[in-house]
Amino acid sequence: MKRRRLQRGLRAFWYLVLFFLYAPLGIVVLFSFNSVNTYSRFAGFSLRWYESLIHNEAIVNAFYNSLTLAVVSSCIATVMGTVLGYGMYRYRHLKLGWLIWFIYLPIVMPDIVYGISEMSFFVSVHDATGLLNPGIGTMIIAHITFQVPFVALLAYSRLVQMDPMLFEATQDLYAKPWQRAWYFILPTLRSALISAFFLSFTLSIDDFVISFFTAGPSSTTLPIFIWSAIKKGVTPEINAISTLMIAAVFTAATISYAIQRARPARVES
Amino acid sequence: MHKGRRSRQAQRHWQQAAHMLGTIAPGIVWIVFFLVLPSAYLISVSFMTNGPYGLPQMPLTLQAFSQLLGFGFLGWSPGNLYTVLRSLWQTLIATGFVIALAYPVAYYISTQPAGRRPLMLLFVVVPSWTNQVIRAFGWMNLLAPDTPLSNLAGALGLVPDQMGLFPSNFAVVLGLTYNFLPFMVLPLYAAFEKMDPEIVEAARDLYATPVGVFRHAVLPQTLPGLMAGTVLVSIPAFGQYVIPQLLGGGKSMMLGNLVARQFAEASNWPLGAAGALIMILATLGGLLVLRRLGRRLGGGKEVVL
Repeated sequence: MKRRRLQRGLRAFWYLVLFFLYAPLGIVVLFSFNSVNTYSRFAGFSLRWYESLIHNEAIVNAFYNSLTLAVVSSCIATVMGTVLGYGMYRYRHLKLGWLIWFIYLPIVMPDIVYGISEMSFFVSVHDATGLLNPGIGTMIIAHITFQVPFVALLAYSRLVQMDPMLFEATQDLYAKPWQRAWYFILPTLRSALISAFFLSFTLSIDDFVISFFTAGPSSTTLPIFIWSAIKKGVTPEINAISTLMIAAVFTAATISYAIQRARPARVES
Repeated sequence: MHKGRRSRQAQRHWQQAAHMLGTIAPGIVWIVFFLVLPSAYLISVSFMTNGPYGLPQMPLTLQAFSQLLGFGFLGWSPGNLYTVLRSLWQTLIATGFVIALAYPVAYYISTQPAGRRPLMLLFVVVPSWTNQVIRAFGWMNLLAPDTPLSNLAGALGLVPDQMGLFPSNFAVVLGLTYNFLPFMVLPLYAAFEKMDPEIVEAARDLYATPVGVFRHAVLPQTLPGLMAGTVLVSIPAFGQYVIPQLLGGGKSMMLGNLVARQFAEASNWPLGAAGALIMILATLGGLLVLRRLGRRLGGGKEVVL
């Protein structure tokens, strides 16, 4: 009797927390369809803010910058992180535990410290040598740095799950290193690599602070554009572009959940 | 050198070393060059003198740290010190709220049928995958003047009429709580999943009060998850930049905003770097806690977010 009351209370609490989590996103989505330019009431359904998005050159530009940044950095980080994760796995018997500090550092460092140190470093290097001019290039460098550890950890944890005897089997069968890499390691890692790429991509698209401090004048991304629009005084177009970004995240989450569901109960290879 | 006498084994060792360098070095060197080196540079800046254009100069001093404590060339003023203390205070309150919200949620999820749990966890986590600027913007819309929430607060006399709930310290704490809730739910859920329900059952059978059950049966078993969650929530909350900037006005500045200002308008790199150094130290302390927890919990397995 008492137990059931506790369960009911918990369920009510759960729905309240869900409401708390989704209300701020919901309000942005709702007002992106508002037909008038106000935040206090919803006057009627309209798509006019979406229409004006397409004609706003600054937003389209920011969209392309975000996309370029995310695709380029994720590709490089996936390759570099996988190689690192593989190295950590192969030589895990050596006392390389201290390496994990370098890998944790980008993950846990507050992003403001991260952005500021890269910014001051880039500025100093630029003053001294003329290299590393703030812009999309420095942003790509900064993004790769926080993506690599996530990829390496994903690849490493997938390799550790694998039966080590399989690895020795490839040696017993005289597989050349490239054959081992191509026919054995890459297929083993395939699903881990796909999720690593998408994780890197999301991390890049979601990042604001690090991009903000390493950006140049012509490399505005969508989050930076939204930020400066909020600071200047909001137009309802911001609701529309935010809604599109929210929709993208939810689509990605749904797809990744569906893929996980579809995969048969994990086969221990 | 006696090249011909080099044995095949030595050659294999050499090859292996090259292979190891080839796999581990690129990633680590990249992180060292583009993150460790820049942070080391930033730390060194915090011990330098502030130059005429805000750029760091020799000689080395502790000037930046005394400025952080409020000692300026106009005498002592508490502004900077208040900012540091406010960051601590707001982080503390927000972490408390997060714990209060996360415990029932994590427990509730762990009592559900196994097939539903991943989806429920996903529901908790997905909002945190959206951009944090957009999330803060959503709260700005909810807390603005002349919205249901603000009118309610006005009717209750909590805020002056016609005023919104933001910018305020309240809005900042709310934003922090919102932002970091998933970081607490996940480790707590992991702890609840491993919890032995029979101990809780036994406490109940012995007529422990609900508080007693929690204190003596639930808390000890979920403590590692709670500690991991506290580190994951409080360290990034302490260094938050976006939320205080958007949801708090000038009077709700936190350490992250103070640091950023020194590199932009205020132009005092050493002072900014000194603030950043505090955050770096807090981060390293948090890492140590996580490592120790990881060793104690998973038998050598690392705690990964």
